[in-house]
Amino acid sequence: MINFNIAAWRAWAPGLDSVADWQAWSQQPSVLPASNAAPDVSFLPAMQRRRLSRLARMAFSVGWPLADGHEALPLVFASRHGETPRTFDILSDLAAEQPLSPTQFSLSVHNAVIGLWSIMRGETSEMTAIAAAGDGLEHGLIEACALLNEGAPAVLLVITEEQPPHAYAQWIDDVPFPYAVGLLLTPGMQWQISLATNATGIEKAPWPHSLNLLRHLLDEQASFQHAWKDRVWNWQRSL
Amino acid sequence: MSDLKSDIKQLIIDALGLEDISVSDIGDEQTLFGEGLGLDSVDALELGLAIQKTYGIKIDADAKDTRNHFSNVASLAAFVTAKQAA
Repeated sequence: MINFNIAAWRAWAPGLDSVADWQAWSQQPSVLPASNAAPDVSFLPAMQRRRLSRLARMAFSVGWPLADGHEALPLVFASRHGETPRTFDILSDLAAEQPLSPTQFSLSVHNAVIGLWSIMRGETSEMTAIAAAGDGLEHGLIEACALLNEGAPAVLLVITEEQPPHAYAQWIDDVPFPYAVGLLLTPGMQWQISLATNATGIEKAPWPHSLNLLRHLLDEQASFQHAWKDRVWNWQRSL
Repeated sequence: MSDLKSDIKQLIIDALGLEDISVSDIGDEQTLFGEGLGLDSVDALELGLAIQKTYGIKIDADAKDTRNHFSNVASLAAFVTAKQAA
């Protein structure tokens, strides 16, 4: 079992930015229309933000305000699919026997976002980039709780997924729209999660786990389950 | 030649994503890397690639004078002109 507090959260998806936007969405969750909109990251100097993909912009836009005022804040970055548009561009160039873009190549690795985060914030705390299955939220939380148990006063967890290029549509079916969720975690007993390993009869969550969590943060449901493959994560909130 | 310089400036802006800069903001003799425009080593690689693709020329990354060719827009334009004539 792991336990923690969610001291603050931020989320972004095309058209959904404020708490009120997410409140409205979570009351009637729906797939958002396809959009190329990217969040505002004008708090970064132009020379620094110019290479940021939308995935990176999403991560920065939810993470930056949560990190405000924290001198040293470990970061756990979780994304199942990562920079699929960059990967696809690079593979397309390879297939066409074109030279690869050094910028695309250098930023296509899974820990590129935390590297940029570290450079732009001058942050040298522990940072981890993980790619888990559909329960990346819970795996990210385990990682974050390990850092809290080691004595970190707070840990930032950012979960983000980009809309994959159409060519991957056949294989990637768990990204209804691009989104990012940032959770500022602190030690505490507000939330407890335990893992069970028999998912028989338990349906998969209707939305990606981090979006489903947002719904429950907003409707204040005391307990819920997230099942992925044979793993059942039992969420319990102390009200 | 002056057209080539402004083409190269536009190429720099497009290839390096300098969204808040226009052609008139880049001086012919302005230093591109480090100080001046403030481009970095990844930009150098990206710009080298863009120049090769756009002008159909080969750049030897190890050649000693390559660094000098990339010092500003005027030197790049002279380099491209010389390469294309060769």
